[in-house]
Amino acid sequence: MSAAEQPTSAVTPGAAALEVDDLEVTFHRRGRRLPVLKGVTLKIERGQAYGLVGESGCGKTTLAMAAMRYLASNGTLDNGRVLVDGQDVSTLSEEALRKWRGGKVAMVYQDPTQALSPAMRIGDQLAEVYHYHEGMNKKEALEQARESLRRVAIPDPDGTLRRYPFELSGGQQQRVVIAMALAVNPQLLILDEPTTGLDATVEAEILDLIEELRGRINAAILLITHNLGLVVRLCERVGVLYAGRLVEEGSAKEVFTDPRHPYTMGLLRCVPRFGMNKTDAALQTIPGTLPALGDPLEGCVYSARCPMAQPVCKRREPDFYAWPGDAAIRGQAEAEAMPPDPAAYSPHHAMPVGESSRHTRCYFTADVESMPHLTPVLATSLDERGGDTDVLDIDSMVRTFKDGSKKLTAVANVSLSLKKGETFGLVGESGSGKTTLAKCVTGLIPADSGTVTFEGGILKSTAGKRSQDALRAIQMVFQNPDSTLNPAWSTRQILTRAVRKLGGAKEGSVRAKVDKLSADVRVEPRFLFQRPTELSGGQKQRIAIARAFAGDPHLVICDEPASALDVSVQASILNLLVELQTKEQASYVFISHDLAVVRYISDRIGVMYLAELIEVGAAADVFDPPHHPYTEALLSSIPRLDFEKQRDRIPLRGSMPSLTDPPSGCRFHTRCHRSLGDICAQQVPPDMDAGNGHTYRCHIPPDELLALQQAGASEPEPAETL
Amino acid sequence: MPDDRPTPFGPDPDLREESMQLGADPEMIELRADAASEGRDLELPGGDHKSKALEADAAATAEQKRQRRYLVKALLRSPTFMVGLIIVLFWVFMALFSAFITQSPTLTDPNISLAAPSASHWFGTDDLGRDVFARTMAGARTVLIIAPLATLLALLWGGIIGLIAGFWRGITDEIIMRLIDVLLALPIIITSILILSLLGKGTAIIIVAIGALFTPVVSRTVRAAVIGEREREYVMAARLRGERSAFVMVREILPNITQPIIVEGTIRLGYAVFTAATLSFLGFGLAPPSPDWGLTISVERVFLQIAPWTVLFPAAALASLVVAVNLITDGLGRTFSK
Amino acid sequence: MLRLIGRRLLLMVPTLILASILIFLLAEVLPGNVGRSILGQYATPEDVAALNRELGADRPLVVRYVAWAGNFVTGDWGESPVQKVPVRPYVMAALWNSLILAGFALILIVPTSIVLGVFSGLRRDSALDRVITVSTLSMTVIPEFVSGVVLLYVFAVWLKWLPVTALAPEGAPFYERLYYLILPAIPLMFLELGYIARMARVGTVQVLSMPYIRTAVLKGVPRSRVVFGHVLRNAMVPTVTVIGSQVGWLIGGLVVVETLFSYPGIGKVMVESALNHDVPVLEASVLMVAVVYMFANLVADIVVALLNPRIRKGG
Repeated sequence: MSAAEQPTSAVTPGAAALEVDDLEVTFHRRGRRLPVLKGVTLKIERGQAYGLVGESGCGKTTLAMAAMRYLASNGTLDNGRVLVDGQDVSTLSEEALRKWRGGKVAMVYQDPTQALSPAMRIGDQLAEVYHYHEGMNKKEALEQARESLRRVAIPDPDGTLRRYPFELSGGQQQRVVIAMALAVNPQLLILDEPTTGLDATVEAEILDLIEELRGRINAAILLITHNLGLVVRLCERVGVLYAGRLVEEGSAKEVFTDPRHPYTMGLLRCVPRFGMNKTDAALQTIPGTLPALGDPLEGCVYSARCPMAQPVCKRREPDFYAWPGDAAIRGQAEAEAMPPDPAAYSPHHAMPVGESSRHTRCYFTADVESMPHLTPVLATSLDERGGDTDVLDIDSMVRTFKDGSKKLTAVANVSLSLKKGETFGLVGESGSGKTTLAKCVTGLIPADSGTVTFEGGILKSTAGKRSQDALRAIQMVFQNPDSTLNPAWSTRQILTRAVRKLGGAKEGSVRAKVDKLSADVRVEPRFLFQRPTELSGGQKQRIAIARAFAGDPHLVICDEPASALDVSVQASILNLLVELQTKEQASYVFISHDLAVVRYISDRIGVMYLAELIEVGAAADVFDPPHHPYTEALLSSIPRLDFEKQRDRIPLRGSMPSLTDPPSGCRFHTRCHRSLGDICAQQVPPDMDAGNGHTYRCHIPPDELLALQQAGASEPEPAETL
Repeated sequence: MPDDRPTPFGPDPDLREESMQLGADPEMIELRADAASEGRDLELPGGDHKSKALEADAAATAEQKRQRRYLVKALLRSPTFMVGLIIVLFWVFMALFSAFITQSPTLTDPNISLAAPSASHWFGTDDLGRDVFARTMAGARTVLIIAPLATLLALLWGGIIGLIAGFWRGITDEIIMRLIDVLLALPIIITSILILSLLGKGTAIIIVAIGALFTPVVSRTVRAAVIGEREREYVMAARLRGERSAFVMVREILPNITQPIIVEGTIRLGYAVFTAATLSFLGFGLAPPSPDWGLTISVERVFLQIAPWTVLFPAAALASLVVAVNLITDGLGRTFSK
Repeated sequence: MLRLIGRRLLLMVPTLILASILIFLLAEVLPGNVGRSILGQYATPEDVAALNRELGADRPLVVRYVAWAGNFVTGDWGESPVQKVPVRPYVMAALWNSLILAGFALILIVPTSIVLGVFSGLRRDSALDRVITVSTLSMTVIPEFVSGVVLLYVFAVWLKWLPVTALAPEGAPFYERLYYLILPAIPLMFLELGYIARMARVGTVQVLSMPYIRTAVLKGVPRSRVVFGHVLRNAMVPTVTVIGSQVGWLIGGLVVVETLFSYPGIGKVMVESALNHDVPVLEASVLMVAVVYMFANLVADIVVALLNPRIRKGG
């Protein structure tokens, strides 16, 4: 065995688990060089967990792939080194590389449903790892595979070995992928967005599993994510990546509580904190957009979007200064001393990484604390928005689908009402019936039974049967920015058509109305001549919002309008919706799986579980005890940005029951941690009244529930805003 | 520079992430940026005079023109497309003008029957002493009349049926698809033999027969494309705007499925050439003395051993045409899928 | 799995009934007058009427269809008015000959096209990939009588490696019959090669770009295992589906190749009976082809289901 093919269990003494040194990666496309990563230096000590955050396209995954020596065929590593456990990855022979992948470094991927070979049994896929890394025969390898499944707490490991991936739920598939990654006891475990796309409660289970496994394995972790809460939950250290540069690095707690780079600050400010509401504070946005790959970048990569940028920032890129001390003093000094002519400046090349534990790539580190807030509070109180008259009243709506020979109930007997100018947030995990409910209200699909009363009149079941006035008054904003606009039409055509059909405007005023709409949603007029494919996701969603507001609607249903967007864009879309509501006094039904977002934007909230609306009330009431045990569990599962207030998670038992065969009695009883026993399984619970219009469907009365739930956790306060 | 050779399996994983950020390929963006600035210029002078509606449409037409110009540019850069196009244009030219270039394809001369290729008869002569070169050039005519017209018929019928079946779904769709299944339960060449043996021969009948037989396949393609579009959110938005079904079908969905329809059309064109030639080879097409390639090969093949030129030249001509049509298809498909 | 086969078999019944109605209508109704179409335009009206009576062609349509279908199912396929022979042995012998030719062609087609397709998929965008793709596709789009004539000239007339005819002398052993079938089988192979190879290539390329292949590579599985264990297994599903759907083209190809090589198979019988207005033979042969075609599709579906656990387990 050559030196390069050392056994995977051997550990080089003193070496860090991962060391990335001045890494530069470039993609080549049609003769153009598109730099993806530049000057990235980071180090993960053995056993440490390191979070790498940044918005999509900033190069996070490329870094992971470089560490795996698995760059795309048009990507090259132009400079720098990647060392895993002291071993330079680029020097490995083919065979050593094979042993090293999966042996020393293992990876968990974003979409578990795509990460497993669909035509191969789970057992064979796991056994493969043992066979090729440990030389076990098939029987031994399968035995080990069973053990590994047990380790990741999969129910029925024996049965799972014989199953195919499609027979497992997403959460279970991710457990299998994790088991596979940990099979050979790697030194470094790379988690690439390991919970993105999973439901909140499943995400929490996976996070619990990772946390628990960390105690038992000695692998260091590189967590790649856009979700800052995940980093808070799992990592000691964090690096913030922007446009291929590491802009800030340090202990997770310090970076998130005392950020020293304007981009980090911007990211933290544009995510709604848990418990925050639009009437308390506005979400701050980051102006502009991420530079596209290959855009020329002069000076600091962030200077084009930075609210504190000075002329010097555009001239020369700051070094990665150590903080505190070095950065504040040297950065400022350099900025002041820099001659007006950049050509006369000789670059300063001291690379101060190493001793200090915090670094930031900014000249004006000391000023980040006082970075200006750009957005004022936009929302007025509900009373000022109208508030008193009922706009929408849904009474016992039922909608079923055929699933083969079975009947699938997607909306089961839901009733709710909505006042003028109010935002009703609808939360629930995927498959809970949120979108079906929305489609029934808009008439995209007819409900089986139940009535929808809108401004005093009963609505016809489908859009086709409704009057033009009714259509105009109820509009919808959809989830997917890429398909919400007709790609064959120009933006102006889209808005013109909407104004003509919905606005009821006279021919002459159509153009004025289109211009006003686009100004309202802050889309520059030049974009009106472009097609949707040429717009960014945020711009598309703005046009979609403008289209919905073409006829001055009274009710707009927003189905996850910002979940496909990056956080900074999400913030500006949410702000826009709040602003339009204040101006137009429209009511919203706002659907989202993101509890913090719903809490931020909603006046009242409804929680759906398995097609039923199990809890309704004012936003603050629903989020505080007493509330439905499901809501309680759901809230506890969200990874938060607050370091002090990490609460114990309430694990849910079992998995989500099927909609074709929902549990008897209380639908939640099979998973409930506060179950009372037989009564929950046998009797449909009543809607308990917790006062102030807050009701929840449970057998436990409010006072008892309050006592139970307060015993568990302290009340979360709205986080202080940065 | 260390050995950083990518693995052969590298599927550009991150590039996809990055290109989503890019929105589209960079050249496309540059071209479109140009186009957008043109658009602004175009809008200014007309602003006060034109009716507003007209103006919005004008801007949109300009946009469509730009889009088209971009596609044309991309196609002109595709070698497969260009080679195919040149060959097809050559045969179209010959179909139209060979009468002025060559001697008559039906002129017989018993004295020189089955003469080998020579300076006076480049491709030799056939059993009746007809010039094989003249016949080969003129042979393009029938197939170039039959195949495009049959294809257009199939696109028209299939397009309408596919749009309706895909958009309305439900019982209409169920019935149409069942019928199509039955029609496709027999190989096309056999159904066409059945039809032609009973309806008789003739160019018009062949065109209608091939058009009708290709209709089910086209309507399947169109239906699949419509189904892919109709669940998209912009269609829902149109319904919430109170648009009529016909408007949604024709104005909203149709413009977004033109590319699969065009590709399907060129595929069918290739098949139509293939089918028309095969039918005349089998004796269900035209009658002698037509210089049609399939017919000529069928009639002259008894001379393959003593006068192979009578068969091989029309065979090569036919092969060049079908390959050319398919090269065009390939070029279009590649350009569209970029 | 058994339920899947059963359901597919049941679905074939209405399709076959509809197809038989279609065939019956096309063969008997469209020409208008059966007796006239057999006897030709110079026969006297009396003779035509007599023949129609004899054939039962003057009865109502539905009655005739039911009688015809009933006879067909019970094995009474009638007698050919042109060949003056019983239809069933005549058609079945031809069908058998065709099955031998088609089977031989399939044995050539499937491995060749899959190997070529997977190979060019693995070496995607290389020069070799382009060569394979363009040449196989060209072979496929060229009508089989064109490639057949050229091959016949090159290998039989010019090089004299292979016989000019497709039918071995009476009583020749089986391997010699196959030797005679090589030349007709190659145009059939060309006909299918491009599409199946293309599908195998596309399937391979697609699977290679799937995240689960990345998983396999990054868990340290050797390359050969990735290709044979992960890529092939998943790429075969669309390929086999296409092989099934291409059987129709193979039958179309048989019609032409049998005519070109004067091989007494069902395709040649069909063409001749169509040209000679031999209605009972035409009906029987077309219907048999439809039956074979549907069974071939069924077999392909079963193989696909065997390869794809989702269908297999879904029942």
